[in-house]
Amino acid sequence: MGYKKNCYVALGLILVVTGVGASCVFASDPPPEGGAESVAVRLHLTDDAISADDPNAPVWDTIQPAEFKLAPQVHWPDRIQEVTVKSVKVRGMHNGRDMAILLEYADPTEDAADAAAIEFMVGDKMAHFAHGQEMLQVEGGAVNIWYWKKEHGKATDMSAKGFKTIRAQENQNVSATGAWQAGTWRVVFSRPLQTGDEHDVQITPGEWRNLAFAFWDGEIVDGAVREQGSQKAVSSWWYVRAEPPPDNSMYGYVVLGIALAAGFEFFLLRRIRRGNES
Amino acid sequence: MKGPLAKTVILLVGMYVFLKFILPLFTAPLPASLIFLYLALTLASAMIFYTMSGGSLDEFMGPIGRFLTGTGQTGIAGTARILVFVLFPLLVGWQTYTRLAPSDMPPAENRTIHPAPPGEFVGLANPYERTQDNIMMGKGLYAAFCSPCHGANFDGKGPAAVGFNPPPANFGDPGTIAQLQESYLFWRIKKGGVGLPVEAMPWKSAMPRWEVELPDEWIWKIIMGEYDGAGQSPRTWEEEE
Repeated sequence: MGYKKNCYVALGLILVVTGVGASCVFASDPPPEGGAESVAVRLHLTDDAISADDPNAPVWDTIQPAEFKLAPQVHWPDRIQEVTVKSVKVRGMHNGRDMAILLEYADPTEDAADAAAIEFMVGDKMAHFAHGQEMLQVEGGAVNIWYWKKEHGKATDMSAKGFKTIRAQENQNVSATGAWQAGTWRVVFSRPLQTGDEHDVQITPGEWRNLAFAFWDGEIVDGAVREQGSQKAVSSWWYVRAEPPPDNSMYGYVVLGIALAAGFEFFLLRRIRRGNES
Repeated sequence: MKGPLAKTVILLVGMYVFLKFILPLFTAPLPASLIFLYLALTLASAMIFYTMSGGSLDEFMGPIGRFLTGTGQTGIAGTARILVFVLFPLLVGWQTYTRLAPSDMPPAENRTIHPAPPGEFVGLANPYERTQDNIMMGKGLYAAFCSPCHGANFDGKGPAAVGFNPPPANFGDPGTIAQLQESYLFWRIKKGGVGLPVEAMPWKSAMPRWEVELPDEWIWKIIMGEYDGAGQSPRTWEEEE
């Protein structure tokens, strides 16, 4: 009987493992509501040089964009309730040393004061998406902002930790180029993944970082710029990750798993047959 | 098909059909993990039941043993046996792969939607009388300051709501202000998103810290306007006892 019991325990084990496997394969949960929207930007790994200066380089069209909706900035005063830029498509790439992020968004007019920005959390402390605004129960961190404005023709690498604390950094390591065509801006930002500057976000392939976006429509309406300062379109925090280099070691573990399962079957069958013979 | 094994299989299939297809007709669909848990419990219960006596254990496991050893098998049963022996290692291999393959999904976030308020905000009563004038004033202030995100219909669908994650609260939903006391809303409006504790992820909230712009009187009246406009009543201490 003891012999038989061992076999039955092993059989039970097979049932459970197969059940777990089948349930994981076939019974996956449906995506959450609005699941078609993006939550992360993937910086695709490439062997080539990064397309840092040309927002219209053909390579960008080979990358599937992430898309994020935008809202008017409402967190602090001087807010507006309607913004021009309603959503942004984001593509990214890196080659292990440098990275580039392309923002593509609709803006009907090309204006000198048109501007775009990407914001990152810096270091390990969580920072509020409104410029690292002070939080009352949580010690927050700073943010790193890459700001591009049409009339400047370049990017400014900035830091902030709270309302009205934004300032340009001493070390400027971000480049940006924008191109407007038929109602669409394409702005490409680029930088080395690692800068060694404590005020900058450091991107390590495989690690998740938080990022957010902001846009200003610089159209002149009644003698004034339509959107400026805190009057802008913003996104919430989303995620970015530089694609890690492929890791083939996992295939070794897959083969090992298959071999162990086959060995287990062989052992089990022998035990049952011996049990029957005895 | 009268053996204990067949009965267990029928029971499991019946449970799955019930949990996956019939129950969602009456309530929210169950997550796959919960369905699996219920099925595992059913299987475990059946196995315990048939393990109570040696005889029925043999009846339960015997057919499986005969199937695996191929005793007296011909035709389809023989093919099915080979299929099981091939599929089991492949399934283990697939599981290993899905566990180790790099995911494109960011880390899961468990955000607490209604965290505990700080002590000084617990049990505060609205100092303003619930008069039509006060409610109307509250609704006017709501329209000016809150409706861009929370919506003119109190449904969380204001014109500025679309880009925010987490989205603004829908006050018509019975899971929001109907479950909360007025003092809780007073805390949330006064201190805003930045006043939330760590488990509520304050860094993601777009809710302004309204104490910077609005006097307490306005906040209390906005609360009155919100409950009235959304057709909800605040939770009171009496209900908790």
